[in-house]
Amino acid sequence: MQADRRRLNAPAGGTAPPVFASANTSPPRRRRKADEHRKIFLQTGIVPSAAGSAYYELPPDPATPPLTRKSSLKITCTVHGPRPLPRNAAFSPNLLLTTHVKYAPFATKTRRGYVRDSSERDLGLHLETALRGVVIGERWPKSAADVVITVLEGEDDGPAGAHSGDMGSGWGMLSVLAGCITVASAAIVDAGIDCVDLVSGGVAALVHDQSSEITTVLDPAPAEHVTRAACLVAYLQSRDEITEMWMKGDAGGDLGGLIESAVQSATLARTVLVEAVKDSTEARVAAMSPPELPSTDAASKGRPKDVVTTG
Amino acid sequence: MASTIVLPGEPLGPSATNIPGPGSHIHAGHLFSSLAGPLAKSSTSKSTPNPTLTVARPSGILIPETGTTVLGRITRTNPRLANLSILALGPSGEHTCRDSFPAIIRQQDIRATEIDKVKVAESFRVGDVVRATVISLGDERSYFCSTAKNELGVVMAVSEGGNQMVPVSWREFLDERTGARELRKVAKPV
Repeated sequence: MQADRRRLNAPAGGTAPPVFASANTSPPRRRRKADEHRKIFLQTGIVPSAAGSAYYELPPDPATPPLTRKSSLKITCTVHGPRPLPRNAAFSPNLLLTTHVKYAPFATKTRRGYVRDSSERDLGLHLETALRGVVIGERWPKSAADVVITVLEGEDDGPAGAHSGDMGSGWGMLSVLAGCITVASAAIVDAGIDCVDLVSGGVAALVHDQSSEITTVLDPAPAEHVTRAACLVAYLQSRDEITEMWMKGDAGGDLGGLIESAVQSATLARTVLVEAVKDSTEARVAAMSPPELPSTDAASKGRPKDVVTTG
Repeated sequence: MASTIVLPGEPLGPSATNIPGPGSHIHAGHLFSSLAGPLAKSSTSKSTPNPTLTVARPSGILIPETGTTVLGRITRTNPRLANLSILALGPSGEHTCRDSFPAIIRQQDIRATEIDKVKVAESFRVGDVVRATVISLGDERSYFCSTAKNELGVVMAVSEGGNQMVPVSWREFLDERTGARELRKVAKPV
């Protein structure tokens, strides 16, 4: 980790309190069906100072015992804009979209720095490609929009209690990116930026089950599986289009099947996205309509007065 | 109000029998919504048999477009133009901008008549609040605005002595405390 000399730095490496688990603690197991997504909490409009914002969470399964309970995923997204282009930027007839993905320093077992590292920049680039295919940029000439994502709690890469020195094999990054895509889509719609569709992220993986058979599961939690290959897609359901795909591991010959499963996972995430966006839009429209009545009243009162002054 | 809420990507009908309005787009011969908001259908008549479908943005207008009336503050002037930073959109500033948009009012766009006799220094001073209309997206930096209408021009101004002034004619503001008069392109009060 890069040391930041302007701040008081926490010790590098893990700072989790010691957990004296008994030696026979078994790693967490997947309790849901292979084609079942974890429950998603999604809400838009949580940051009043931003043009659009959303919060995404995969809460831990309350049925698992506390010691083996894996961390959940918590992501916030704010959208700033459309706003005028920065002073130094060249003229652009389209919306200039920039994405920033940052893990909070406390998001993972290994502390993250304040400066974005390469994996965070990588996630930002993947998110940008996923969103670029959805936003209708030509409706916003000479303007820019920033999508800023903070991962408050990231998905662990390995089983709970395993103190791997590195960031793991990176299977958790796929679920994080899927969450980032879904939450950014909600925040962009909340900001009122034109989109061709709602985009949702979904992950599917080929995993070894107990009998060492390889099966396909939707929305894998890396702590629960021995993963062989995983695939992420950003999917537009109403157009049946994929704007972003990321595959890791050795999928063998069944690439198409794995992508199909990831699309299915994205479709499941979309149902939550649709509900969340619909709820917040209905609330905003309902909050808008009562003050509308007095204002139209005032306008009708103002008009005859205008005629008097001009006449 | 029983208007239906539509979401981005929601099909609104075939493009052959509907006209796309703001907030919608055409894909593969169908109209789709591109915003989350209430759907409005314009009434049809014999001459316009197809309705226009419009999806309203709940947050209102976000950036200046050609024809938008804006409120802004003069940031600097020179003999050829005045620089303006657009602070709010709408005739009475219904939508405040989070970030100000840079704009300019050229000398020939200040008033409608005798445009070659206009002097920028006798029309605007730094700090004046101006109501203007956007005439073009402008160059790579600034929007181009115009005040060439009676109801456009300076709406609030501070005198050299630092007092708030009141408009007294189409070209003068009066500092009531000192009795001094200053020249401006005054907006007709509405």
